[in-house]
Amino acid sequence: MRGFSASCLDAASSAGADYADVRVTDTRTQDISVRNGIVEGVESSTSFGFGVRVLADGAWGFAAASDVTPDAAARVARQAVAIAKASATVGSHRVELADVAPFDDTWSGTCAIDPFQVGLDDKLAVLLAADAAMRAVSGVALTQSEMGFVTVFKVFASTVGSYIEQRWSESSAGITAMAVDGGEVLPRSYPNSHGGGCFQGGFETILALDLPGHATRVATEAAALVSAIECPSKQTTLIIDGSQVALQVHESVGHPTELDRVLGDEAAFAGTSFLGLDDIGSLRYGSDIVSVTADATIPGSLGSFGYDDEGVPATRDHLVRDGILAGFLGSRESAPAISRVSNGCMRADGWNRTPLIRMTTVSLEPGDAGSLADLIADTDDGLYIETNNSWSIDDKRLNFQFGCEIGWEIKDGQLARMVKRPNYTGITPAFWGSCDAICSREAWQVWGLDNCGKGEPMQVAHVAHGAAPARFRDVTVGVGR
Amino acid sequence: MTLQNADARALAGRTVQMAISAGASEAETLVMSSSSALTRFANNRIHQNVASEDSGVSVRAVIGKRVGVASTNREDDASLFACCEAAVEAARLAPEDAAFPGLPQPRPLSLEDRACATTRTFGAGERAAAVGTIVEHCASRGLTAAGQVSVSDTVIAVANSLGVDAGMPGTTCRATVLAMGPDEGSGWASFAGRDTSLLDAGSLGEQASSLALRSASPRDLDPGEYTVVLAPDAVAELVQFLGWYGGSAKAVAEGRSFMTGHLGERMMSQSVSIVDDALAPHALGLTFDFEGMPKSRVALVEGGVVGEPVTDSYWAARTGRRDTGHALPAPNSFGPIPLDLEMAPGDATPASLIASVERGVYVTRFHYVNIEDPVTATLTGMTRDGSFMIEDGRLTHPLRNLRFTQSAVAALASVGGLSSERRMVGEEGGALAPYALLERFAFTGRTR
Repeated sequence: MRGFSASCLDAASSAGADYADVRVTDTRTQDISVRNGIVEGVESSTSFGFGVRVLADGAWGFAAASDVTPDAAARVARQAVAIAKASATVGSHRVELADVAPFDDTWSGTCAIDPFQVGLDDKLAVLLAADAAMRAVSGVALTQSEMGFVTVFKVFASTVGSYIEQRWSESSAGITAMAVDGGEVLPRSYPNSHGGGCFQGGFETILALDLPGHATRVATEAAALVSAIECPSKQTTLIIDGSQVALQVHESVGHPTELDRVLGDEAAFAGTSFLGLDDIGSLRYGSDIVSVTADATIPGSLGSFGYDDEGVPATRDHLVRDGILAGFLGSRESAPAISRVSNGCMRADGWNRTPLIRMTTVSLEPGDAGSLADLIADTDDGLYIETNNSWSIDDKRLNFQFGCEIGWEIKDGQLARMVKRPNYTGITPAFWGSCDAICSREAWQVWGLDNCGKGEPMQVAHVAHGAAPARFRDVTVGVGR
Repeated sequence: MTLQNADARALAGRTVQMAISAGASEAETLVMSSSSALTRFANNRIHQNVASEDSGVSVRAVIGKRVGVASTNREDDASLFACCEAAVEAARLAPEDAAFPGLPQPRPLSLEDRACATTRTFGAGERAAAVGTIVEHCASRGLTAAGQVSVSDTVIAVANSLGVDAGMPGTTCRATVLAMGPDEGSGWASFAGRDTSLLDAGSLGEQASSLALRSASPRDLDPGEYTVVLAPDAVAELVQFLGWYGGSAKAVAEGRSFMTGHLGERMMSQSVSIVDDALAPHALGLTFDFEGMPKSRVALVEGGVVGEPVTDSYWAARTGRRDTGHALPAPNSFGPIPLDLEMAPGDATPASLIASVERGVYVTRFHYVNIEDPVTATLTGMTRDGSFMIEDGRLTHPLRNLRFTQSAVAALASVGGLSSERRMVGEEGGALAPYALLERFAFTGRTR
């Protein structure tokens, strides 16, 4: 691919590009789904193509095509330059990029068992066993089991002088049992909702989940939700499980700290941010125990890579330190706005998309509250909730509302009655300011999330969040109940 | 390079034969070839400007009651045959689905050419000129503009071994404008159609900037139940959530739909009719589905009464209904879906709807809506880009954004009027929606 990428860069430079990069991406996927004992889908796909991004006359242009040929290299590169020159006709702003060193390197993600070397029958056996175990539980109306696998080979080259090859695999799987009763659908999922657990790695990550081993519990809880009480409408102490804390971090820390949102680039679609450039070092984001990091170097995390799609090496950076805003997720274009170099957060959803600022592994750092059982024991009265069911947040990432699958009242340090469809709402800094306990590292894990939508045309990023169960005071729950 | 309609249909037919050669007893292929471009602007400049082209082939191989699917975007014969072999291999290993009815037999189709030459030639220069016009309208009033202007030129072809042979070209053009001013003012305008010659960039800039100026310095409103007048963008959001999550035979059969157990019952106001009609002259999508079946006009709700859900060949057979032609590409775990939704108009004007409200809220559009309960279609989301207090029949002052938590079914059971004017808005195929007055709508929170 060195020759092909060089021809793209040469053609772009000859056409007038001041900067150019090219990504060639070869992606292979497999998705399997089982519903109510029936195999609903077995699908494999391949996608191969390249995209050229250029700066010309101080503005961006990007063009992509699926025919990876010398003729297409020249044609697409010239098209990208023509688009950039059209961009430059509106406004007088000229893009300036933060420096990055040239790298000639390769990187591979962790993978013990290549998921594409595992037979379909072995994968189906896991899903069908879990599905059968869920359906064996009385009161369960619907069951869903799914697996997905991705292998990516990506080449990046730029006029800075970089040439980088990266390879990785991703695996995901999950099960859901649903009780349907009296006009309500009551799902229960493992290890997470919305596709399950997502990992950078191979089939070993799926085997470690032991889906069949959790199927009966999941189904039993779904069936029990039918007779659970409604979530009371009140202000209370709320303990949130790690998976929901991960999504809370995603929506109310990850997205608002994306520098392109702060700068207004996403205003018309996903929105902006309540944060300003001058808030670094002064804005109180949460209580003193709240620290959030962005780390693209965690092995096995969906948010890890060797280099981002601008050729910037993976880094670990603080977004919130001891409750105070400490940084943003950035790019080579946006970093100069805060007088920093890029911390490497630019990624594209495939060869035909231009990179955007995306989360890496954005994590709430662990606290010292021990295990989940310790945290519940330390709580006199409140509500404990697990597993996301719905999410919504305003265009500045302030007012949010989340629904979860299941909850339990907490009375005198113990779980009491089960609660169906709990939800809660809040305002971002006030909510994080009410965090008074975070479980310790033993309860902390990385949660992959493979459905983060952003940008136009829509791009779906695979990101991750480290999180442990955490406690929040005076939270409004039971909205609309 | 992208494919012409005839080439796409030929490729689909050729790949069907490959799949049969590879061992399938029945086979279906879907060819999608697209050229698209999108110019994004923010802070009164173009900050992203992209174009791409791609062609892909998806193969559904059938062996008895076993089904496998594979796809590729490589078009050489070796890659296509490898794709067919992968689909056949998946079918061989998949357990039987006793309910699988086989691939659908061909039916008469109304194949249209929904491509416009003007859209096909609307290049980077034309998109930049449109953006420049929008930015000029906003910047001259001291506002900041953001949004996008995009075009697509797509050919979709479907063939199967039973004789289905469908293909259709289509173009789309979309534009959105967000104008933002000092003191929290923001305004919105959008366009969706097939033909770029109907895109009036100046008018969009004018609409968005006028709304932004008018919505400056918003005030807080206490949460509670209010009468609302929703603009078409907001109405379309309710209609699309109802249709996408509740309008399919699969959701109905599984008990996840507002329709479940209520077919033929009145659940909404008499003025509410929601139909999916890909054959309507204003529709943006295909006239056939991804199985090559003709799309039928389906009334999900007619005169407030729950009608029928949409189906594909599988869910038609499973539920004993007609195949309405609403399949997504195989394998489709989501189920059939209505993508060309419209809500019937009334006889009011937007002004007369507002004039009839003593105390209420006007909403331009919603943001980040999600579903909390699919059966009641309970949604939560925020208002944005121009919400106003209505007092004594007049818009009196702008409002800071509010959160709602509200059943869409219940909301549409309290319709107090619909406008005769409708606009094509929303995602995917778009939705044609009027302005609507809803007597009861629950705002459950507000932002800062």
